[in-house]
Amino acid sequence: MKQHVKTSWAEPYKIKMVELLKMTTPAQRKKALSEAGYNTFLLKSEDVYIDLLTDSGTSAMSDQQWAAMMTGDEAYAGSRNFYHLEEVVKKVYGYKYLIPTHQGRGAENILSKVLIKKGDIIPGNMYFTTTRLHQELAGGKFEDIIIDEAHDPENEFEFKGNVDLNKLEKLIHKYGAKRIPYVSIATSVNMAGGQPISMKNLKDLRALTRKHGIRIIHDMTRVAENAYFIQQREKGYANKKVKDIVKEICSLTDGATMSAKKDALVNIGGFLAVNEWDVFEEARNLVVVYEGLHTYGGLAGRDMEAMAIGIGESVDDDHIRARVGQVIYLGEKMMDYGIPIVKPIGGHGIFVDAKKFLPHIPQPSFPAQTLAAEIYQDSGVRTMERGIVSAGRKANGDNYNPKLELVRFTIPRRVYTQAHMDVIAESAGRVYERREKIKGLKMVYEPTYLRFFQARFEKLV
Amino acid sequence: MKTIIEPFRIKSVEPIYFNTPEERTIILKDAHYNSFLIHSNDVLIDLLTDSGTSAMSSHQWAGMMQGDESYAGSPSFFRFEKAVQDITGMPIVIPTHQGRAAEKILFSILGGKGKYFVSNTLFDTTRANIEFSGAEGVDLLCEEGKYPSIPAPFKGNLDTVALIKFIEEKGAEHIPLCIITVTNNSGGGQPVSMQNIKEVRTICTKYGIPLFIDACRFAENSYFIKLREEGYADKAVSEIAHELFSYADGCTMSAKKDAFANIGGFLALHNEELAVKCRNLLVITEGFPTYGGLAGRDLEAIAIGLSEVMEESYLQYRIRSIEYLTNKLIDAGVPVMQPAGGHAVYLDAKEFMSHIPVDQYPGQVLVGALYIEGGIRSVEIGSLMFGKYDEGGQLIPAALELVRLAIPRRVYTQSHIDYVAEVIIEVYQNRHKYSGLKITEEAPLLRHFTAKLEPIMN
Repeated sequence: MKQHVKTSWAEPYKIKMVELLKMTTPAQRKKALSEAGYNTFLLKSEDVYIDLLTDSGTSAMSDQQWAAMMTGDEAYAGSRNFYHLEEVVKKVYGYKYLIPTHQGRGAENILSKVLIKKGDIIPGNMYFTTTRLHQELAGGKFEDIIIDEAHDPENEFEFKGNVDLNKLEKLIHKYGAKRIPYVSIATSVNMAGGQPISMKNLKDLRALTRKHGIRIIHDMTRVAENAYFIQQREKGYANKKVKDIVKEICSLTDGATMSAKKDALVNIGGFLAVNEWDVFEEARNLVVVYEGLHTYGGLAGRDMEAMAIGIGESVDDDHIRARVGQVIYLGEKMMDYGIPIVKPIGGHGIFVDAKKFLPHIPQPSFPAQTLAAEIYQDSGVRTMERGIVSAGRKANGDNYNPKLELVRFTIPRRVYTQAHMDVIAESAGRVYERREKIKGLKMVYEPTYLRFFQARFEKLV
Repeated sequence: MKTIIEPFRIKSVEPIYFNTPEERTIILKDAHYNSFLIHSNDVLIDLLTDSGTSAMSSHQWAGMMQGDESYAGSPSFFRFEKAVQDITGMPIVIPTHQGRAAEKILFSILGGKGKYFVSNTLFDTTRANIEFSGAEGVDLLCEEGKYPSIPAPFKGNLDTVALIKFIEEKGAEHIPLCIITVTNNSGGGQPVSMQNIKEVRTICTKYGIPLFIDACRFAENSYFIKLREEGYADKAVSEIAHELFSYADGCTMSAKKDAFANIGGFLALHNEELAVKCRNLLVITEGFPTYGGLAGRDLEAIAIGLSEVMEESYLQYRIRSIEYLTNKLIDAGVPVMQPAGGHAVYLDAKEFMSHIPVDQYPGQVLVGALYIEGGIRSVEIGSLMFGKYDEGGQLIPAALELVRLAIPRRVYTQSHIDYVAEVIIEVYQNRHKYSGLKITEEAPLLRHFTAKLEPIMN
């Protein structure tokens, strides 16, 4: 399926500064991979040619952002960069009270501690690793209420980030609204393959939660990409600007956690934004313990300034069209090679279906982890496992065994060119041709929390 | 004293916005008489803290441009790791977004109800993190450290007799860690001697208690050892720092002080088992172990800053400029902590504002006066920061009522410092016109950051 974008997605910028890359040989990559325990997280970035591990914190900043870095006011208290950021967040997203944090997980940590009591239920449109962990550590339990289509990589429904309202109503019925402090809603659902939620679904969700007095907390790290898909796909939004759609999304929620390292085009930073004074006050008391004084939240002044500029750039129509255009370009090229990917193509990367790519490797032998290692071995392209390793274990020690066993090719914003995209697709194509010869892995070291970061593997023989 | 020549020149400047005493009177009222709540644009000379406020060097800025922002395995991390290993001799290095995050991780693992962390003096966020875990922080400062006006070379020393007594009383098994803060910030930026660190090490070894260094200002402390302690005059600062760290099992550091960085910190240690636990917590609240919540460029800036800070010409300039201001004030009869510390001048507010009782926060009154008269922002380190209430709601005051004028590194010139001295001396001469304050609103932890106050009308 070709998606509805112009074939030319030419970037609305030119290159101002470059970073040199190192080329490696197959022998060097073999050694690096074995030293990294077949975990792409443990590779040294120097040994990587094209780094698609994550789109988080890896963006190229604009000349305006770099200029803003020089206007950093590093005062410990009351920095003017904070007030600028506060003003931008209010203007672009509409949330009333802002607490900066050093990154998104800092905001999740504080929010979970403020809102969740032991025994609470937190419904959400699919889990995300750090988000769910913070909910669990605060005594809550995550319940997945995303529509079933999201778990089917081949289903081409246009809004696979949508909430199944029946699932939510059942939870409310079962536990009572009082035990649900908020519904956690991600825009551009990462673990589903960067899939958007529709405005219609969000409005219906708002109506239902309002009836029961339940908050919606918005995991907004990729809100601009979600807004772009609404503009492209949802009735009545074709003539609206991305920035207006972003503001409308935010207006349907009560607060947000933001990792600004994604859509907002910065290398570090995040925030917690809420509309309720009481929640804000409590969060502000906690932020000094974990992050820093509430007017810097563990960020240098310059990084707040770069974020303020980046937020403005992130909701520009031309920027987001080129951004998503590049991702779709890569996805379509991979489909031309016959590679099974999650459809429709999402906003921030291509998610390869490892179960289908390597059908002879069972899930306990980590097909996605294996595929990520093989891609690196082929070309020095670094990708990430998003399957059984990332999903981790339940409280009782069992593996989560997620339906989706994916390898994520995440595209950093404004960093790589069309030629780089071609190299990536060709490499994936080569590995696909020799897929039958590939063998799985076994895990030899497993950390307690977020095991995918530091786990080590060995090749099965 | 001969003129202190800075071993650098200015490459980039930042404007200061001037305002009048009348404007500042209104600004201070709007900020509820709390200097943390004043917008930095309304401050002329910002001496609130030396943390994160340094001017970076052109080398550090160049390092910023070289930052590799890869999520995992960035070469910027490996350069950072090596810089920390070279200085501390500790093999395991864990980056954090700032010092308190390193402490938070360490105390979450080692702390808990019924535990005691002993120290020469714990700083405010350190203490808050310990108390947040349910444990108790215990300051065992040497006797000479408790008297601001009496000079002594190492007023940051830990009282070893009291340490043994405390361990014997509570039992070593209830003391997970001994922490030496260098230099001793709350106690006036006073250094700890190598001899004292050695003695504490011996005691800790005897009782099986690990020793950690709160290393924010390790270079300033090392330089004081070079100047004041027998046998160190001919040693390089890097050698002294290396020896200092060699007595410890680990350290936490806010790189926002002696590493000239605007953001960043780390935890370094020898114990792999503890490190695994730390990394497990790190990924939850900070970030992946090779970036710890910092941009790659910040790791570069810290690595470069750590080597710059050990340049003796810099440390000489640094220590002598603090001394310059201190001596100017002493000459004018202003009560200050003696001798001069490493990063700040500490005014003795109890004596300075002797007509104001401690439960009316004389330190905070002085902070307000310096702001209105000169646009200088300082911070109270006394009963507002460390005071507690007894069961009857009565204030248990802190041992000292100090006002800290922390000097950011490489930021202000001698003429700025001359201006600061003039303002302080003028306020001292007119001190009787100022009256006390009361708290109207406060948070349960770290109240000084957000507390609101108002003047007591007589």
